[in-house]
Amino acid sequence: MSLDFSILLKFADALALGLWMTLKLTVLCVVLGSTLGFLIGLARASENALIRVPASVFVEFFRGTPVLIQLFWIFFCLPLILGVELSNLASATIALTLYMGAITSETFRASLRAVGREQMDACTALGLPRRVQITNVILPQAVLLAVPTLLSNCISLFKESALVSAVGMADLMFIGQNISNNTARPVEVLTAVAFLYFVIAFPLTRLVTRVEGRMLRKLAA
Amino acid sequence: MNAMSRDTALVRITDLHKGYGPNIRVLRGLNIEMKPGERVVVIGPSGGGKSTLLRVVMGLEEIQGGAITFAGQPYISADGRKTRIDTEVRKKIGMVFQHYTLFPHLSVLQNLTLAPCKVVGEPRAKAEERGRAILARFGLEAKADAYPSQLSGGQKQRVAIARALMLDPQLMLFDEVTSALDPELVAEVEQVILNLAAQGMPMMMVTHDMWFARNVASRVIFCAGGVVVEDGPPEQVLGDPKEERTREFIDRVFHIKG
Repeated sequence: MSLDFSILLKFADALALGLWMTLKLTVLCVVLGSTLGFLIGLARASENALIRVPASVFVEFFRGTPVLIQLFWIFFCLPLILGVELSNLASATIALTLYMGAITSETFRASLRAVGREQMDACTALGLPRRVQITNVILPQAVLLAVPTLLSNCISLFKESALVSAVGMADLMFIGQNISNNTARPVEVLTAVAFLYFVIAFPLTRLVTRVEGRMLRKLAA
Repeated sequence: MNAMSRDTALVRITDLHKGYGPNIRVLRGLNIEMKPGERVVVIGPSGGGKSTLLRVVMGLEEIQGGAITFAGQPYISADGRKTRIDTEVRKKIGMVFQHYTLFPHLSVLQNLTLAPCKVVGEPRAKAEERGRAILARFGLEAKADAYPSQLSGGQKQRVAIARALMLDPQLMLFDEVTSALDPELVAEVEQVILNLAAQGMPMMMVTHDMWFARNVASRVIFCAGGVVVEDGPPEQVLGDPKEERTREFIDRVFHIKG
């Protein structure tokens, strides 16, 4: 078997387009999903069971099923139920946003808990009203504490987004697969695709480690 | 009502009962009357209810029985299963905790001004001016814009005291405020408390530092098994206790120290 990585040059534009699509989809779903996750995280911390229980059911369901089946269900089943066509971009966005919402809600919930009981006591001793306790003391600390794990969640989403190729979205994975099939050069093409995912994800994982250290030092008071 | 308004006590604790869950009873009918201007140091064995007592007085805990009045006003009472706490009265009390509990995401000055601005509605500029003045008094003016993580334990604890003083409390509670400090940082915190004492600030504190207790207290209460065992001037309770249990405790403390 002879390898010829030079064939990749011919497809550089196509791969770049695929990577661009992957990044766009990731950023979109990170923004929407983290917002959803933040709200669900708050809902799961609620004392009201009518708010807490549905949020928990949602999270457990999405954590307990493969992303691929979630994606397929939204792509194939949701249009049947709603009676409307969904573009593959729309269904991929919905699926990954819901998935991201479920996992980041756990991140936010854990960080809310990590803001200790002692901080609440300090608030009470200072006579801070509940609203001020939450908006000025608990939430800012919880969000800061959540940052490192959120970054990890983003990296996971970036990698999981490769699944959208299964519903025909022209992301990096989909384009890579197509090129690989058409050129019969899977080793070169798929290695290049893997490498492209890696060069994006690796610096981010390094960043998580650094941010984590800084946050822990800053919030250890 | 008439009897209430003639009450000369600053804090009157009557038959206080407090437990955690059905089986753990921490305070079992505790009575204390604290007069204005007194500096009460509570000592006693671990698990004897000292910190719980302070937390109850701060209004941080539910109680199962008894009542507390503050300057003649009803403050905390147990009403069947519910604890009623008058939050307006609570604002007159300040507390400093063992583990500083500064807000780590806020600067020192922001830690000081948060409550005055948000609770009393004091203008920010005025609160900051007062905050800087208190920090200067504590030798911390250079740290106004630092974050808690950039401070030593002793500095953090002094900021915590400054933060509580911003609300002009009529009573200060200190719960083992030097226990988490490195030995060389204890003195700077104790000095601040001694200065407050000299200015006549009423205080109630829990400490394991018997030297400090003797120097700051106008009255020492020995608490064990959830009740007051002995109550008197520091020379007597620390120097020549009447009760056998107090004597045992004091002997053991000084034995370990010696």
